[in-house]
Amino acid sequence: MKGFITLLLFSLSSFAYATEQAEQIFHQLAPSLYQIRLIDNASGEKSSIGSGFQITADGLIATNYHVVSGFAQHPNKYHLEYLDHLGNKAPLTLESVDVINDLALVKRQTKSTMPYFHIASHAPIRGEEIYSLGNPHDLGMIVVPGTYNGLKIESFNDRIHFTGSVNSGMSGGPVVNKKAEVVGINVATSGNQIGFLVPSDKLLALFNNYKKNSSQNIDQQISTQLMANQKKLISTLLKSPWQKKTLGSAIISTIDVPFIRCWGESNADKADAVALLVVTNCALDDNTYISSDFFTNSIDIEFKYMRSKKLSDLKFYHLYQQHISNAGPNNRASKNDVSEYQCHHDLVKASNSNMNTKSIFCTRAYKKFPKLFDVLFISASIDKGDQALISHFTLAGVSQNSAMAFTKKFMESIAWK
Amino acid sequence: MEIIIEEINRGKKLLHRHKFLTQKITIGRSYHNDIILADPHVCPEHLSIEYTGEHWVVKDHNSINGCYINSGKQKVVRHIVKSGDIIRFGKSQIRLILPDHPISETLAFSSFEGFIDLMRNPLILSFNILFFAFIAGMMFYLNQPSEVNPTQFIVKAVGVTLMFATWPLLIAMISHLNKHEARIFTQLAISFALFNLMWLSDVFESIVEFNLSSNWPIASIITLLPIALTFALIWLNFYIGFQMSERRRTIIALSITAVLFGGGYILQLSKQPEFSSRPDYDATIMTPTFKFAASSSVDKFISDSSKLFAKVEKSAQKQK
Repeated sequence: MKGFITLLLFSLSSFAYATEQAEQIFHQLAPSLYQIRLIDNASGEKSSIGSGFQITADGLIATNYHVVSGFAQHPNKYHLEYLDHLGNKAPLTLESVDVINDLALVKRQTKSTMPYFHIASHAPIRGEEIYSLGNPHDLGMIVVPGTYNGLKIESFNDRIHFTGSVNSGMSGGPVVNKKAEVVGINVATSGNQIGFLVPSDKLLALFNNYKKNSSQNIDQQISTQLMANQKKLISTLLKSPWQKKTLGSAIISTIDVPFIRCWGESNADKADAVALLVVTNCALDDNTYISSDFFTNSIDIEFKYMRSKKLSDLKFYHLYQQHISNAGPNNRASKNDVSEYQCHHDLVKASNSNMNTKSIFCTRAYKKFPKLFDVLFISASIDKGDQALISHFTLAGVSQNSAMAFTKKFMESIAWK
Repeated sequence: MEIIIEEINRGKKLLHRHKFLTQKITIGRSYHNDIILADPHVCPEHLSIEYTGEHWVVKDHNSINGCYINSGKQKVVRHIVKSGDIIRFGKSQIRLILPDHPISETLAFSSFEGFIDLMRNPLILSFNILFFAFIAGMMFYLNQPSEVNPTQFIVKAVGVTLMFATWPLLIAMISHLNKHEARIFTQLAISFALFNLMWLSDVFESIVEFNLSSNWPIASIITLLPIALTFALIWLNFYIGFQMSERRRTIIALSITAVLFGGGYILQLSKQPEFSSRPDYDATIMTPTFKFAASSSVDKFISDSSKLFAKVEKSAQKQK
């Protein structure tokens, strides 16, 4: 009993300590915190808001790329401005971006040297108390204490798992340790006290790169980043083990990497279904935001096994054809971002496989980012009258070499038992 | 002297034809005329046509509504007949023809005559209709997500067959109304024979699309097949139902085909969005029985697919 009371007292005092600490951090850092506003030129009103924090004495401010993407993609439609803790507004210029890690550097005019955030030299330890700062829902700057929970393993590009609320509008705000050093940047939430942060070393890399070369064209910068990221992603996938699995009487492969997660479903419980349907779906957990109607770097892989229960072959194939007729892209993209798809189809049999397929390959090109494509592949087995395997994948934002190397490996990985 | 008088309707279609060996022919509503008309706008003794020893002459007998020659607007009291003249009086028309009037050349039987006779054979006709009904039932069966019982199959098969039978019946009715022979069974025979050919061309198209890769542009040529069959159907319908020159029939059949397919094509174009974010590919698959072509290797597929990249890059540049 005594022990319990001590524990209770201890936790109360630690809570009080945390609050005090948060208060102190907030006061100390408030002048270097900003609300970043995307202003629509025509209406003069803000079209979206986020948070940002100053990282140099001469007015360089870090925020999320998705906060300023409207300006990056349509510089004539919008302009950027900041709102500081005293309510002053002034314009900002866009200096540099990292779309893969959702970071951007903007700059304000300064008259004298100003206080700024220091970036932590090493990552926090798991369980360490950290503080997220930002401006949720335009309610004013707040501080949210939470816990560092390591890196999210299901993410191809590093993200910190933060236990604490990151709300919309806090995007781009800093997350600091008790020494008020930046350890991460607010980027996303999946609700219920689960937030995701970009580790501060990504910001450091972007900042160092900016110091070396401060006059880069934004589109060109994005293009280079997308190209490098897809190369890293696809080569990681090609080098990783492709595990053979059975799906009905077919053999398929799933890629054994933590950032690609698979889910399964079947209609085995439905006794009156005319055909058995078993589906495996694997997808990359994250994608890259370019603008509100253009996402890229997504990967989806789907296998569908069908076995006719009491249908004639003719009717089964009629049903089967409907399953392969409507494949579409898995990433959003508009007419300004991509060309229309063009497709090739043929009957194919891999030399190492016993399965004949009708295979269809489609691709579309990116308009702003040369040599990057979305590709879509779907193949249907055609050598059994009462069984079928549909193998399908889509890759967004890949080079021709990556796409074809992946397609070849994928096509050679499916067979009948 | 001989003269031929043809009663014609306002569409210049022949109603009755008379041949006279007398010197005078009277025309009117009263019963002692040589040609008795029921037209209320014609007088009891309206006109006569008389041979003067040199010419045939049309004489108007002080009729109330008068006589007009060919497309003339003036009332005529006396007119010397030229072979082929049309006399208009009241709401009636007659054409006067002299025995030495030139006639058109004999039409040889079309080479389709043999085909038409064959299709008209009762056995083949019944087979075609039954085959059509069977395919219609099969299409219903294939498109139904669940199993289909025989009654449903038959009801659907008969329904679709009756629906398609309205086309030849309509043509037969129109030709009957136009004073031609209806020839209902011949129309049915030809129509169902061609409907069946259209089903078969569909199957043929599927087999070709399934077996050939997109390297073969032939697949798009094959879509012309149903257009050609439609043209043939309409051409034959008109050949059986109406007497007209070959040129006219071809033009009419071409126009109807163009309206049917062109209209559909324009409708499709108008519905097409300016930009489609979904790929448009050929997803035809058939049971293993219909696979005739050898499969390509993965490397061949990869190298063929690689050619697409340059194409989409080019179109991305163009649409910028």
